[in-house]
Amino acid sequence: MKLTIINGSPRNKKSNSKILIEKFLEGYGKIESSNIEIHYLANIHKMDEHAKAFAQADTVLLIFPLYTDCMPGIVKEFIEAIAANKYGNKKRFGFIVQSGFPESIHSVYVEKYLEKLSLRMQCEYIGTVIKGGVEGIQIMPNYMTSKLFTNFTNLGEHFAKTGCFNEEIVEKLRTPYKMSKANLFGFKLMSKTGLTNFYWNSNLKKHNAFENRFAAPYK
Amino acid sequence: MKITILNGDLNPTTNSFSRKVEAYVEELRKSNRVDLFTLAQMDLHYCTGCWSCWWKTPGECAINDDAEIIFRSVINSDLVIFASPLIAGFPSSALKKIMDRLIVLLHPYIEIVNGECHHRKRYEKYPNLGLILEKEPDTDDEDIKLVKDIFDRLAINFHSKLVFVKMIDEVTKLDFVIMEEVRNDEKI
Repeated sequence: MKLTIINGSPRNKKSNSKILIEKFLEGYGKIESSNIEIHYLANIHKMDEHAKAFAQADTVLLIFPLYTDCMPGIVKEFIEAIAANKYGNKKRFGFIVQSGFPESIHSVYVEKYLEKLSLRMQCEYIGTVIKGGVEGIQIMPNYMTSKLFTNFTNLGEHFAKTGCFNEEIVEKLRTPYKMSKANLFGFKLMSKTGLTNFYWNSNLKKHNAFENRFAAPYK
Repeated sequence: MKITILNGDLNPTTNSFSRKVEAYVEELRKSNRVDLFTLAQMDLHYCTGCWSCWWKTPGECAINDDAEIIFRSVINSDLVIFASPLIAGFPSSALKKIMDRLIVLLHPYIEIVNGECHHRKRYEKYPNLGLILEKEPDTDDEDIKLVKDIFDRLAINFHSKLVFVKMIDEVTKLDFVIMEEVRNDEKI
């Protein structure tokens, strides 16, 4: 099977989406290593090429980070470029949506849109993988990311074998849908110690912007 | 009332959608202060996810384009109306582009709202949101619901409320209705 991957992250090759795809392809490559194409929508001046790659593909996976509980603007531009055509149910279309917040509730609304979009374009809908808590993975220690990466590697291997997303792994990745009472309690405790905002505070301090963090310049 | 209208029509010089939006703005101006932004005619770039607005220059976007005037208008409005024809079942990329950029108006700190993670306010007050769409030939009720749900989510993120969703052909005579809805909303 020929696999075309569309990376819809505005962060291009520095994206968390790219890292997840690399892990996915590690697993995929155990079964099949040829016939893989990757396109980066952040190269917006190449939108015609991206659309052409979509038109010529058999199986397409579109990955993007959640922006305003939806697709980023560059992904919408891509969708506009490909959705003017119908594909006669000869093309398979799947999605990976990753977000900063840990819960999948933020992503399930665009998931419904993506399923309907596939139907509208007459593509076979493969499904949508949702994964929260992805912001920060590039600075997390290995022990914090190893489970996530293993899941993506296994997802990729299963995909190469079957052409489908493994339901068990998909379920694991999209958990929690909402935070449990215990999670919320833990979050409150962490808020008091300042841990929840550690990522932001350390970056604010790194850029000498901490004192100015509550600035409201457009009022 | 101060109102900002973000028109995401990709072909504003030729599409009837933009003519209708302009006619609507004329009506609104009789009793409100209205800023209309025709996004396709402005120099606007996509958010690059650089986080400058959160941790380098808090509250300020690093991209030097026409967006700043929109940020100022939006955060100082009582009502922001997103307007766009549906394309592939969703408002245009031009509108989504500016929606993404509005993250500059939020703070990175995370708080719990209705048991969910959200980003805290940067400003004291956020405008109500409205949505004006134009159907495609194949648009059905489910499509409108999908879009409405996503804008309801945007409103939660934005410490705001989606106070109406209308089709463009319904709105020209609906100045009054919209105002009433917003007023009722403010009473709550």
